[in-house]
Amino acid sequence: MIDPTAAPPKARRRKVTRESTLQALPWLAPALLLIGGVVVYPAGYMFYTSFRDISRFGTDLGWAGWDNYGKVFALGHLPRVFLNTAVWVVGVVLISVLVSLVLAQFLNKTFPGRTVVRLAVIVPWAASVVMTSTIFVYGLDPFYGVINQFLVDTGVMAQPYGFLKNPVSGFLSSAAVAVFVSVPFTTFVILAGLQTVPGDVLEAAQIDGATKAQTYWRVVFPMLRPALAVAALINVINVFNSLPILRTMTGAIPGYDADTTTTLTFKIIQGDRQIDTASALSVINFLVVLIVIAFYLRIVRPMREV
Amino acid sequence: MRRVIKAAAIATAATLGLVACGGGSDSGAGGNTELELMVPSYGDKTKPYWEDLVKAFEAKNPTIKVKLEVQSWDDIYKVLDTKIQGQKAPDILELDSAGPAYGKEGLLFKADEIVSPATLADVVPAFVQSAAIDGTAYGVPTVASTRALFYNKELFAKAGIAAPPKTWDELLDSAKKISALGDGVSGYGMPLGNEEAQGETSIWAYGAGASWGDGSKITVDTPQATEALTFMKKMIDEKATQADPGATNRTPLINVFIQGKIGMITGLPPVVGQIKEKNPALQWAIAPSPTKDGKPATLGVADYFVGFKKDGKKQEAIRKFLDFFYEKDNYVKFNDNEGFIPATKSGGEAAAAKPELKEFIDALPGAKFYPATNPAWSTASGAFKQLVGQIQTKPAPDVLKEIQAKVDAGG
Repeated sequence: MIDPTAAPPKARRRKVTRESTLQALPWLAPALLLIGGVVVYPAGYMFYTSFRDISRFGTDLGWAGWDNYGKVFALGHLPRVFLNTAVWVVGVVLISVLVSLVLAQFLNKTFPGRTVVRLAVIVPWAASVVMTSTIFVYGLDPFYGVINQFLVDTGVMAQPYGFLKNPVSGFLSSAAVAVFVSVPFTTFVILAGLQTVPGDVLEAAQIDGATKAQTYWRVVFPMLRPALAVAALINVINVFNSLPILRTMTGAIPGYDADTTTTLTFKIIQGDRQIDTASALSVINFLVVLIVIAFYLRIVRPMREV
Repeated sequence: MRRVIKAAAIATAATLGLVACGGGSDSGAGGNTELELMVPSYGDKTKPYWEDLVKAFEAKNPTIKVKLEVQSWDDIYKVLDTKIQGQKAPDILELDSAGPAYGKEGLLFKADEIVSPATLADVVPAFVQSAAIDGTAYGVPTVASTRALFYNKELFAKAGIAAPPKTWDELLDSAKKISALGDGVSGYGMPLGNEEAQGETSIWAYGAGASWGDGSKITVDTPQATEALTFMKKMIDEKATQADPGATNRTPLINVFIQGKIGMITGLPPVVGQIKEKNPALQWAIAPSPTKDGKPATLGVADYFVGFKKDGKKQEAIRKFLDFFYEKDNYVKFNDNEGFIPATKSGGEAAAAKPELKEFIDALPGAKFYPATNPAWSTASGAFKQLVGQIQTKPAPDVLKEIQAKVDAGG
């Protein structure tokens, strides 16, 4: 049996929705234009460039098909660079989140001078990444670095070591700096998450006789899930695309043993002057981030309600 | 009244519009010419120098306006490429030998078209020819520099070395003696990090008689270059250099020399000024770059002025400006400011009076230049910066092959 009055309200509602979308457009337009101009257009242009043959001087020499992608996959050092990238992203994000969990817990307690400590945590975040990295470059210098000097004076090392002059130690030092600059943001996201945990839930856990560890793992931690999801996702993207730290700290190391896909892209542009190949690598980079995030959302299901 | 203002506004807008249509350049109302001048920045004194010079020039030539644009060395190539692609090349450009290379594409006036015969005759001929393309010179040299060996006399005396080394073997021997002094002192400072690895490598390779090819083909992997890189590796392996030369950049390493912790290092004329400013107490001297068999050879670098042809109407104005720049007082002041060697005979006489520049001027006849008129040199130079430091861990011939492969692929 068909109810003749059932369809019109639905249609009307759809019409209303369409009208209100149209009405909202003037207010959305600036944002849309901005997104189109600074996100969609450059990304689209990058895809386009990755299929063109571009000369050293930037002249477009025509269609290149998959040649640029072929060149990227023919690079002998690519496996090492991908491995580096994986270690870089997983290592930096994991350590940042672990450190931040502890730090946020600490900052959530009331103690005298808490505001000052909270402000101090923000400092590495507020400072320019290039500046922070440069400070470490000087500190770790084998000739006049204070960190090297300290390690020698305290007897940890017999003589200064060129931390940023060897691929493995340079890479690890850069990762440490990456953690250092990622921790503030992560901490504050988790801290915000901690403050959403209602006091009565904690009280209830106490009344039920839960130990401190049980309270944390069974009550607090599950409620941090959305905050952790945001912190981890944004960190993955940031760390994956991070250029300045590695560029500043390991840029002088010859070869590609301390490179991630992002710094390799930069070297292809700057050193080899191959804008087309670099675009292809950027597209691959972009796809890898998308896949990583898709897997993350699928497997960890961070947004699932508790 | 309001109508008058409106009319005036429209007229002004129209005039401005017309001027803009005319390319913002040539003939304005009074036959004025506007010259666009683009120069790289060597240091803090570059921009004030050009501002003063432009002011003095405009006072003398009221019909010519000069629009100055100073760019950093990092950006100038990119800015220039963009401008040339947009048909907005500057009228006068100062650049390394990549400037004259535009002559290949027919964009430039010839050297004798942008300066008077008297000015051109004053320039040292070797410099004019250094960036000639198929025998035609497009650039007029502005500054020149050669490299020489700076050494620390105090460390030499401590290690019991009488005279600065002339050959590689002597260099290795002296460097080892100085390294043996201990206390964080290194014998020879070898910067192979990405800042200027192509410079250090070229000095060694030229010292073995190698060259990097010519205007048509870049050849890196030669027996002479292999010999040079193998000896560099030997220096590293026998601990005659500072630790980790492969990733050490030039500027910080020169600072370490200035602090007195390095026995010998290759340097440019401006280093003289840096030592005077930062550590006047340092006991130092300059000697020619050591070579394989002691025959003088080193790396020479020159920058050039070129004039872009475009519609050809501004040739006269360009010539006036450049002749003004090469007037002895203006030109000597420019080189004094930057600490380089003048490329003119009259300027050279003025510079020869300064003892600290003598070694660099003496090195001129043996100086070899980068084959930078070949566009592929930029790829080769980039490959050197990124890869040559690997000789620290890899066999030298493999590294050269890797660089050659990059050059060939860059095409």
